[in-house]
Amino acid sequence: MTTSTMPWESGGRPSDSTAVSTPAIQKLETATVTEIDLAQEFESSGVRGVLEELDRSLIGLKPVKNRIRETAALLLVERARKALGLAHETPTLHMSFTGNPGTGKTTVALKMANLLHRLGYVRKGHLVTVTRDDLVGQYIGHTAPKTKEVLKKAMGGVLFIDEAYYLYRPDNERDYGQEAIEILLQVMENNRDDLVVILAGYADRMDRFFESNPGFRSRIAHHIDFPDYTDDELLHIATTMLDAQNYRFTDTARTAMAEYIGLRRRQPHFANARSIRNAIDRMRLRQANRLFESAKGPLGVEALSTIEESDLRASRVFRGGLDIDIARDAGKQESQE
Amino acid sequence: MRVTQGAFSFLPDLTDEQIHTQVQYCIDKGWAVSLEYTDDPHPRNTYWEMWGHPMFDNPDAAALLYELNECRKQFGHGYIRVVAFDSTSGWESVRLSFIVNRPSEEPGFRLSRQEVKGRSIQYTTTPYTTDQPEGQRYR
Amino acid sequence: MNEQPKSLTVTGKARYAAGVLEYKKMGYWEPDYEPKDTDIIALFRITPQDGVDPVEAAAAVAGESSTATWTVVWTDRLTACEKYRAKAYRVDPVPGADGQYFAYIAYDLDLFEPGSIANLTASIIGNVFGFKPLKALRLEDMRLPVAYVKTFQGPATGVVVERERLNCYGRPLLGATVKPKLGLSGRNYGRVVYEALKGGLDFTKDDENINSQPFMHWRDRFLYCMEAVNKASAATGEVKGTYLNVTAATMEDMYERAEFAAELGSVIVMIDLVIGYTAIQSMAKWARRNNMILHLHRAGHGTYTRQKSHGVSFRVIAKWMRLAGVDHIHAGTVVGKLEGDPATTRGYYDFCLDEFTPQNLQNGVFFDQHWASLNKMMPVASGGIHAGQMHQLIHHLGEDVVLQFGGGTIGHPHGIAAGATANRVALEAMIFARNAGRDFLADGPTILAEAAKTCTPLRQALDTWKGVSFNYASTDTPDFVPTASVSA
Repeated sequence: MTTSTMPWESGGRPSDSTAVSTPAIQKLETATVTEIDLAQEFESSGVRGVLEELDRSLIGLKPVKNRIRETAALLLVERARKALGLAHETPTLHMSFTGNPGTGKTTVALKMANLLHRLGYVRKGHLVTVTRDDLVGQYIGHTAPKTKEVLKKAMGGVLFIDEAYYLYRPDNERDYGQEAIEILLQVMENNRDDLVVILAGYADRMDRFFESNPGFRSRIAHHIDFPDYTDDELLHIATTMLDAQNYRFTDTARTAMAEYIGLRRRQPHFANARSIRNAIDRMRLRQANRLFESAKGPLGVEALSTIEESDLRASRVFRGGLDIDIARDAGKQESQE
Repeated sequence: MRVTQGAFSFLPDLTDEQIHTQVQYCIDKGWAVSLEYTDDPHPRNTYWEMWGHPMFDNPDAAALLYELNECRKQFGHGYIRVVAFDSTSGWESVRLSFIVNRPSEEPGFRLSRQEVKGRSIQYTTTPYTTDQPEGQRYR
Repeated sequence: MNEQPKSLTVTGKARYAAGVLEYKKMGYWEPDYEPKDTDIIALFRITPQDGVDPVEAAAAVAGESSTATWTVVWTDRLTACEKYRAKAYRVDPVPGADGQYFAYIAYDLDLFEPGSIANLTASIIGNVFGFKPLKALRLEDMRLPVAYVKTFQGPATGVVVERERLNCYGRPLLGATVKPKLGLSGRNYGRVVYEALKGGLDFTKDDENINSQPFMHWRDRFLYCMEAVNKASAATGEVKGTYLNVTAATMEDMYERAEFAAELGSVIVMIDLVIGYTAIQSMAKWARRNNMILHLHRAGHGTYTRQKSHGVSFRVIAKWMRLAGVDHIHAGTVVGKLEGDPATTRGYYDFCLDEFTPQNLQNGVFFDQHWASLNKMMPVASGGIHAGQMHQLIHHLGEDVVLQFGGGTIGHPHGIAAGATANRVALEAMIFARNAGRDFLADGPTILAEAAKTCTPLRQALDTWKGVSFNYASTDTPDFVPTASVSA
């Protein structure tokens, strides 16, 4: 933008104003720093708190937690280097989260947004979660405004694009997804101070997506792979979820749950923790029906909070799975467990 | 001359970083921020063209700066202002407005006087630039 | 008062026996009375003569400001007299002031004509202020019920629409009173207006006693001022105004002057408080009809607002003026040369700008006051202020205010336009810093010094008035102060 004259410099009276050099309002001066105590920074930035909470609240996910710890360390050091004048550029922070459904990608993205906020890499720290439908329009001229709206909403925070590969449809040259991709790439490059983009989805499909879209590959610095939960972890998750809702398994029900997990994993559309949550919803439904039909008198806390083996055994998972249902209505499979 | 409408026209032109602080102040107050542009800076020209709708849902000022830079690509030769709207009962109008882009040369206004009865004068102010048709001003 | 006497009202035949009966026995003292939502409540500070019972004094004030006379009259019995009697229902000693009492008195809504300040004041401050058994009497505050507020027009334009008309948002407006107050010819007068507006002010102002004198008749002043306003507007691209004082001897003269101002395209006219409540309400209606902002100079108020023991508090005047319908009212500067401590002044400003003002004894606000969506009234800070106080002014007064730097503009060593520019730059820099999250009150001098680097007129202003302040004790201060907390 061109500078223009100030009002008091024009007009009749000769101005003895000094040249316009410093703007009237200056940024707070940063004191000259010569050394930085990383441990102290770790503490005061609140990063320790976020990491500890991550450890506490998420079961399993060891490799993910390690990667996040490493990333946090890198960013903390980067911040220190910047303060000492050793680094100038904002590091690239865009990430990809790969893994099967229900492996905690969205939850971790939320923590990541908080972490980046604590470290001062994003200003607000909110998470905006979208899929292709939120970015791509159905008609000509609709995509760019849609994508820009989403990007603007995410600025100051983290944009999480679930199943990002759906943006790219190699079979259709005129697919509007391409337009969204171009705007995304541009903003990921030019507005690195303003938002962080996390692309998420199945590992294999993400790999293919990156192969066809090298622009994304080069702009993504951090790849985090989310492994499936082990059977033990899922059982742990199940009891934690129940506990949070004030329910508990009987011993035989717990054994049935372990068996359920083993069977469910081999059946289609298995979605890790999400499948467990759905299974629990079904159990609560069956428990309620059982209590309603069998209760002879008033019910106590004990009866109302106990999940029995029969509440699980009625599931089709024990009878070979969901093939029939899938054939009938693919969309409802999860709720039929 | 320098058109001094808006809250900060007597300060040196604002940098994007400075604009960010002011826009963030508005957003944090719950006001909707928007951009308007014109090539007719008449003091009573209330309705500058809107550059999109006011932003009701964007938590960070970067969103407005993103649009400002888009707007500058097309109208960088004219005036652009930030306008913040407050929908609170009892106000329901603009809360802050300031110019964020202006032409490199501002030719100013012609003051025309029509002498009427009893030494009275009827005044008319006209921006010199509106002598040119729309689209050819400040070029 | 911990032990307040129960109702002493005499009832039955004895009440109307011919002769003299104490006010407190006539039904003007009702300690059990609970004011209705529609009652008008007045809070008086009473100083009874020595030996006069404060309850009797309060009852007398209630009686004399409503239905009573000095003796019993049988004609009371032709009316619903219990309803029409004002009722003193509470008498408290004033903290730290011997011999003074706060008397709360409730008035039924039907005692008053709708939409008439003249009628309201004829009752509330009519005869009663000269009443012999009282040494002194002061009207401290009033609670005006929504039902009554709704009968008034309120400010003709209001703060929001004023800003829309001026295209000026997010910062205080800037003004200056043309000086010297008296003696300039119309031609010279317009020069001051032009320089000040071109330099960066939004408004200039006639002083209260500029009407139509031998040295400058009103028509001449209006013509030269409007030339100045239009020229300054063309020079800056901004909407500018000058408060043309239309105060005159008669309503006809005032209408004539106001009509002429409208014809010339002025955005604002001005009146003085001394023209009286009826004339003020007439001008407010005229201003609403003519799309005009109405500025009120509170000339004369000091005669009855300043002393704490006797008169009418300015907060009551401010309330009346919002009902009456003026758009601007001088309400104090805190830091300038005229009366006003910070808390009391804040109370006045709140009455101007709030939708609802909650009780706040520390600011001298005794009642919750609902404003029933009456327009907001722009407070004006004028008198002995300069650019170097900008941070304090914004801290105390906020952004919805007209800051008027008269001497602080015209007295600038490099001229009026330079003075105006100094004020405008100081203001914009301070608002910018506040919005950017700086502690502008603490950093005020630094912020001004930074702004002065790119604005020589500001640097000169800061040098000239460095450290000028008016630190005198206020006479009109709140009676309630925050008590120290126990946590210390």
